[in-house]
Amino acid sequence: MTEDLEGGVLAARARRRATDWRDAVHQACAPLLEADTITDEYPRRCVEMVEEHGPYVVLAPGLALAHARPEDGVRRLGVAVITLTEPVDFGHPDNDPVDVVFAFGSPDADQHVSLLSSLARHLVAGLADRLRIAVGDHEAQQALEEIRDDD
Amino acid sequence: MAARPEPLKVLSVCGVGMGSSLMLRMTVEDVLKKMGVEAKVEATDVSSARGMQADVIVGQGMHTEAFEGKAPVVVAITNFMDKDALETQLTEAFKDQGWLE
Repeated sequence: MTEDLEGGVLAARARRRATDWRDAVHQACAPLLEADTITDEYPRRCVEMVEEHGPYVVLAPGLALAHARPEDGVRRLGVAVITLTEPVDFGHPDNDPVDVVFAFGSPDADQHVSLLSSLARHLVAGLADRLRIAVGDHEAQQALEEIRDDD
Repeated sequence: MAARPEPLKVLSVCGVGMGSSLMLRMTVEDVLKKMGVEAKVEATDVSSARGMQADVIVGQGMHTEAFEGKAPVVVAITNFMDKDALETQLTEAFKDQGWLE
């Protein structure tokens, strides 16, 4: 499911299977690719960012936020998330294993600031756990829709 | 013991400078506000941060190691949602600097 977000997209998918963290990042990016907010270069760049700079995208226990740079193939603002039935390891010293993987792409350095601040607030308030208990895409989408509520 | 710079110049760092460091910036801002510390917090990537002056650098351990000794306070965090842990770390580090009673 996808919903428009000021010309961008919010998309959630629940309880997917991933073979490893690279597969999980590609799957998290998939709804954005389908909605054409990113090019197929972008998921590859998200993987390369982790390979180049370490698993810093794992922000909290069980939670990753994959992204690359605007020039890596972003057409419009988008945030997607998948939850995994089997968690994957990113190689993070403290926060592995990961079962909630966000992907976001922003077309410039500014557009995503209010969206990411809203995402951060909702994560602090328990959004990741609400996504974890969602059994289907529709329920996960409803949980993710929270982040559009405030600005 | 030096007086605490006001506003405190704080960098939140990550690999790209627009995702995790931005999320971390919000946590740092909230915590410093609660502590009553006036600060200007900027999110940036590790390589840009190397060329910047700052009083405090906050990031994940894999990134902050490179900054030990480059700023008076360098704090490594593991969970950007854990505001209590960050407050404890910042309070201790600020006391070491004589920035807090």
